[in-house]
Amino acid sequence: MARAFPKKPAAQLNATVVDYAEKTASNQAYLPEIIRGLGVSMSHFFKNTKEMIRGSRPDPVTERLEDGITTISYPEQKRPYPDRFRGVHRLTTRDDGSVRCVACLCCSTACPAQCISIVAGEYPEGDKRRGYEKYPVKFVIDELRCIFCGYCVEACPCDAIRMDTGHHAVPYDSRDQFIYDKDILLSFKDKDGAKKSENPRHEPGDPSFPGVTRLGGH
Amino acid sequence: MPTFKLDGREIPFEPGESIIKAAAKQGIEIPHYCWHPGLSSPANCRMCLVELKPAAGQRPVMLDILELDRKTGEYKPVQKPKLQPSCQYLAVEGQEVLSDTSPHVKEARSHVQELLLLNHPVDCPICDQSGECKLQDYWLEHQHTQKRMRDEPVHKPKGVSFGDTIVYDGERCVMCTRCVRFMEEVAKDPVLEMRERGNLNEIAVAPGRKLEGNYTFMTEHVCPVGALTTKDFRFKARVWFLRSADSICQGCATGCNAHLDYDPRTNKVQRYRPRDNEAVNKYWMCDEGMLSYKFAHETRITEARVSNKKAKRAAAMESAKSAIASAQPSLLAIVLSATHSQEDNVALLALGKALGTSSVYIAGRALGKGDDILVDADKNSNTQGVQALAPDARQWSMFAHDVGAGRITHAIALGADVASDADILEKLDALVVLAAHGGPLTGAAKVLLPAASWAEASGTYVNKKGISQLSKKGIEPQGDSKAAWQIIAELGKALGHDLGLGKLGDVRKKLVGRNSERPPATDTGAGTSEAGAE
Repeated sequence: MARAFPKKPAAQLNATVVDYAEKTASNQAYLPEIIRGLGVSMSHFFKNTKEMIRGSRPDPVTERLEDGITTISYPEQKRPYPDRFRGVHRLTTRDDGSVRCVACLCCSTACPAQCISIVAGEYPEGDKRRGYEKYPVKFVIDELRCIFCGYCVEACPCDAIRMDTGHHAVPYDSRDQFIYDKDILLSFKDKDGAKKSENPRHEPGDPSFPGVTRLGGH
Repeated sequence: MPTFKLDGREIPFEPGESIIKAAAKQGIEIPHYCWHPGLSSPANCRMCLVELKPAAGQRPVMLDILELDRKTGEYKPVQKPKLQPSCQYLAVEGQEVLSDTSPHVKEARSHVQELLLLNHPVDCPICDQSGECKLQDYWLEHQHTQKRMRDEPVHKPKGVSFGDTIVYDGERCVMCTRCVRFMEEVAKDPVLEMRERGNLNEIAVAPGRKLEGNYTFMTEHVCPVGALTTKDFRFKARVWFLRSADSICQGCATGCNAHLDYDPRTNKVQRYRPRDNEAVNKYWMCDEGMLSYKFAHETRITEARVSNKKAKRAAAMESAKSAIASAQPSLLAIVLSATHSQEDNVALLALGKALGTSSVYIAGRALGKGDDILVDADKNSNTQGVQALAPDARQWSMFAHDVGAGRITHAIALGADVASDADILEKLDALVVLAAHGGPLTGAAKVLLPAASWAEASGTYVNKKGISQLSKKGIEPQGDSKAAWQIIAELGKALGHDLGLGKLGDVRKKLVGRNSERPPATDTGAGTSEAGAE
């Protein structure tokens, strides 16, 4: 049978010749090198033990910038995250505890991973927001698909979605545990333990709601 | 044809036509809110202002104004031309009109936009019109400035229910009165009106009435902003997620041209929008038709059935084959459908011819109510077409008669709808039905094969005027369904007859080849197409 491909000519050797260390009794025995390596480990062991007893362990973040290795005891100890670290999403609430989101779908439009799914609904009859706003009946984020780019937070016109929880995606047993629904997203607090957002909302009907409303029962 | 000059371009016009309409016919858009080609021109939005050059030897109409000199900080008297609304000003032979090239017009547009947005709530994230709103488009195109008013805007009624179908938001309204004029001029039911003046203006329903009738959806359709929204589409989808297919409404024999808006991610049809066609539906559709997009999913048959039990497609095809193969050609009938496309019907005719049967019947929905605006009493979308395909075909009532007399024992039927009751079908030895929706025929079918609905396959429909129109494919076929002509071609092949219908083009060729099928010449606009064109 004919070969599918013609055999390639042998490539020219394009390499530099390495000068190997001379074989001596000391490096052929390996023992001195092993002892030297153990010495490095032991020096760190004694350094850590001494610092642990004295209680003078340096800050892991600043020490990270120095040479050498530092061990921290994760998860009891955590490296502090930068202020604007993008963690798992949360939905912010209004003063009365209801969801701020108005289901405009700007976040799911901006999302490059298409991981946000929202079903919009109208406030029930008698609610003061009926006719003014809509709300998310369903709000689902697939945290497995999310790439944590933060575009949803940028796109939100209502400051309703944030990534300031401070925790990263947690490992779970099964995939469906990564599908966060509205209740889970609403239950998260920001990294300082607060649930509110920065800018207060003024609702129609509130005394603080600005505007000239029509009088005379129109 | 006389012409006038718009920004240096020659525009032909019919005598008595307005500048904006003549320009629109040439594909030039002069920005507008209140003008609609199907309605009268009140010239109240002032967005379509243009500059008219005076005729030779005449003085221009100029206005004295004071202009602020930014350098000296003083006002100086200058003159500017008096602009005219192009929706009301009739085109005159040789007239020179400036639109985009006039700095005065550009300034006027920007200022009109600013005025219209003065009290606007700018709640685009919540508004359903967002993405197809003229205020958004024109802000980007003609205004570009931030709001200068620092006062609180005027608040007006929001979320007012105008009837069973429409919700009104007064704050978003620009008072173009298109909805008022539509109800008065087209629907002939002047139930909407304007009340108050100035920035307290609002649209209201006549006391003691509500917005009702068969054309309420059109008030939302003509609304250039998000003031009127339909309860059906409200909060359902964002328009930028939707794709649109040029479709034909299946509600009646009028064959209104429509945009079928669907979400390609979920394969769901979300709404209809009328598609302009001067020869058929002009700019309108009825409420019933606007809601008939729902039949893309409601009562759809998506799986094959054998003796009313769920079956695999291949197994059902096998049963259909054996049922037809056992029939004597003289006792076999084919039933065409007036609700299916020409393509499906011509394929079934070809199969009938190959099987050697001469009994052809036409079935369809029963007559309903019509009106003198758009709705036709004939509720089948393709009656004219199927009658032209098979001029000798007998009506459904004859079918029952012939079955009773024992002249037919086997039948292949297209579609689910019949005009009268289908009890007589029990007498048949075998009935093979290809249908997209559930109906009397599908209940009686021995073998039921799921066909694609009008939204899922490209098809030609001939309306009551004999205009043959193409309805394009929107969503993907659901479940096990396939275009009916494809199923028929496969069935033919299984029975040992190659119908030569491998591709849609082959079916279309068969259609064009028929003399009776050639569509009559029409002066239709978009949407109407010759059979055979994709």
